[in-house]
Amino acid sequence: MHVEHLKTFGRGGIHPDPHKRATAGLPIEDVPPPMEVRLPLQQHLGDPAVPIVKKGDLVRRGQKIAEGEGTGVPLHASISGKVKPIDRHPHPTLVMAPAIVIARVDDPDLAPLEFPVDPGWRELPREEMLERIREAGVVGLGGAAFPTYRKLQLPPDVRVDTLVVNGAECEPYLTSDYRLMLAEPDAIVEGAVLMARIIGVKRVLFGVESDKRDAARVLAGVIRRLAPDGYEMRVDVVETRYPQGAERQLVAALTGRTIPPRALPYAVGVVVQNVATASAVYDAVCRRRPLLDRVVTVTGPGIAEPRNLRVPLGMLLSELVARCGGITDDATRIIAGGPMMGRALPRLDLPVTKGMNGLVLLTGRGPFEDGYGPCIQCGRCLEVCPLGLEPDQVSVRVEAGKLAETAPYGAEECYECGSCTFVCPSQRPLVQFMQVAKSALRRARDTRSVA
Amino acid sequence: MSEIPAARPRPFVVTPGPHLRVSETTSSIMWWVNASLAPAALWGVVVFGPRAFAVIIASMAGAVAAEWVGTAAMRRRSTVADGSAACTGLLLALTLPPLLPAWAAFLGGAFATLFGKVIFGGLGYNLFNPALIGRAFLMASFPVAMTSGWSNPRPWFGPHLDAVTTPTPLAALKEYGLEAAARLISGPGGVTGLALGFRPGSIGEVSVLLVALGAGVMLARGIIHLTIPLSVFAGTALITSFSGAPLLHLLGGGLWLGAFYMATDYVTSPAMRSGQVVFGLLIGVLTGVIRLWGGYPEGICYAILIANAVVPALNLWFRPRRVVAMGSPS
Ligand code: SF4
Ligand code: SF4
Repeated sequence: MHVEHLKTFGRGGIHPDPHKRATAGLPIEDVPPPMEVRLPLQQHLGDPAVPIVKKGDLVRRGQKIAEGEGTGVPLHASISGKVKPIDRHPHPTLVMAPAIVIARVDDPDLAPLEFPVDPGWRELPREEMLERIREAGVVGLGGAAFPTYRKLQLPPDVRVDTLVVNGAECEPYLTSDYRLMLAEPDAIVEGAVLMARIIGVKRVLFGVESDKRDAARVLAGVIRRLAPDGYEMRVDVVETRYPQGAERQLVAALTGRTIPPRALPYAVGVVVQNVATASAVYDAVCRRRPLLDRVVTVTGPGIAEPRNLRVPLGMLLSELVARCGGITDDATRIIAGGPMMGRALPRLDLPVTKGMNGLVLLTGRGPFEDGYGPCIQCGRCLEVCPLGLEPDQVSVRVEAGKLAETAPYGAEECYECGSCTFVCPSQRPLVQFMQVAKSALRRARDTRSVA
Repeated sequence: MSEIPAARPRPFVVTPGPHLRVSETTSSIMWWVNASLAPAALWGVVVFGPRAFAVIIASMAGAVAAEWVGTAAMRRRSTVADGSAACTGLLLALTLPPLLPAWAAFLGGAFATLFGKVIFGGLGYNLFNPALIGRAFLMASFPVAMTSGWSNPRPWFGPHLDAVTTPTPLAALKEYGLEAAARLISGPGGVTGLALGFRPGSIGEVSVLLVALGAGVMLARGIIHLTIPLSVFAGTALITSFSGAPLLHLLGGGLWLGAFYMATDYVTSPAMRSGQVVFGLLIGVLTGVIRLWGGYPEGICYAILIANAVVPALNLWFRPRRVVAMGSPS
């Protein structure tokens, strides 16, 4: 028998139940414009967007409604309609935050803006490409929502040689990237080539987990057709193993390089971008099309009809859920993003934001609802931590109030993948212990450096 | 398209991530350990009769009662349901001679949880294996009952109809030499008898096969790994090969129970595999040394207790290797 050795990262990791079957076979469906969208000014990392429309304005889908100031990016109307008073509304991460609300107006005068292909798009200078990406409001669509133009603008002394395109999608339940790779492989590959040109590399590596081989094959076919001369482009099938899609783990799998603690991928000459981001970059550069929708996997045991949907940004989760047959009576938890690193939402009257790649409705009691036990020193968390950290040691010190003593056990390096918490038989909230220790250590260091 | 109910009967639950976890819990692990010990315990009862049953029940009752009283006295949440106290009591019982008075077994079980675990702060904080603390207590308090309470298998299994108290093969080996030990187990088929349990011994260690079966269940479920037991065997084999009867040492006595069930206790063994190798070897070597040159024919119990004391140091020495770039400052 032929045993295949898939590329993967070195230590740790877990194999959670994938739960992808409910939606893996479902193509992406377009959601028609909802009656209303709420577009928070802050849905990316960086300064919030500044509104350039006011109450009563009529806007067309695709029109810019807020300017990207400072480190932020602009925001665009995802449906045509009338701007309602700009006010604070429930926000998925910020509790309450200002948002532009647009009520749908069906009027031929308010037809969506057209974004025809710019014939010279392949020959644009680097600065122009970056500006189009910024202007289109593109952010990391894999969940981080970091403005893409900033990630592509490297510090002057940094040399990179590789672009890694992340199609691992290691979070259980989620299939949005998978379906996008099948639906828009050309846009993804073109977007990747554009980004490679921006950062000045000719080596582009796609990483796709082994449970999505068909997507890997499709991408590989497109690469054969579209890869420019002199480019090294390939798709690597990586082991299906959480957190394979984390930047550190994917870079290790594809390039064999280890990103130092607390450093960014460019420290080892790599830039990582998600497949959905690549597609958005293509739209932004080739036809100045802003980011107006995103693909969301709505799934989980708490939803009647799981689906992969292309959703206008700002659409309310309640409407999104209604499009999927509604929630079941026993749904207890709403998770924005994947169940490993996503966050639980208290309510459904929240908008879809740029970083929201999934909505997972879970049933039953959550991991920490019944409290947690003492560390029984089983060593499982040590075995699965992909960074070799010691969450057990950090957790007992945090419990004892000895925050300063957590430093030797790696609290500051933890990127909160949750593998340790997933396996802990005492159901200890280890990620939270790591967070508490991390912020305490950072505070201590900051005050020291100020003094 | 269905309507979204305006008011839900229950609010959505907001808990920190990750929102998925394995189904395994501390208490599911403990109950699996208990269940995997059941065949060996039942066989002990079959072989030795109702007195063995009384010892098992008394020891478990003592352990659970002390845990309940102890946590109540310290005003902590009762941890009886997690199965760890029952597990301590059961493990202790399996190391006891079948003719030990039931009240002594009860005391042993109570001492095991109270002074082996509760006073350290409960599960997770104890340094020594609670069941072995209980056994050490009984050895010190009831030395005669603890060393002479061995019984031969019940009449229908063996030829030794007369004996009420008789030495275990290892005790015979120590006191009278290889010949005597061989005679003792030569009844229903020598080493086979040793493996099956047709021979004198403590309640749970009589059948190596059933202990191995239970261990197999724990291995298959990923509750334990082979690292510690194999290291223990390696250490014992190394030392006892000097004695000329390593097989008797490896198959006999409580080595299997100790190696698979006591040395693998999470709390009192090193967290890292590398530390576990050293820990296991230490236990194995100490067991051999105690058996060959020390005062006790068994020895695994004291070997494990001594090794338990070294665990904090092993946990300091053997830590995970941090994943960092080559040449990175940290
Ligand atoms: S959450 Fe942090 S400590 Fe836990 S496994 Fe992931 S990186 Fe390691
Ligand atoms: S997994 Fe939980 S119980 Fe086990 S060592 Fe880590 S923190 Fe302790």
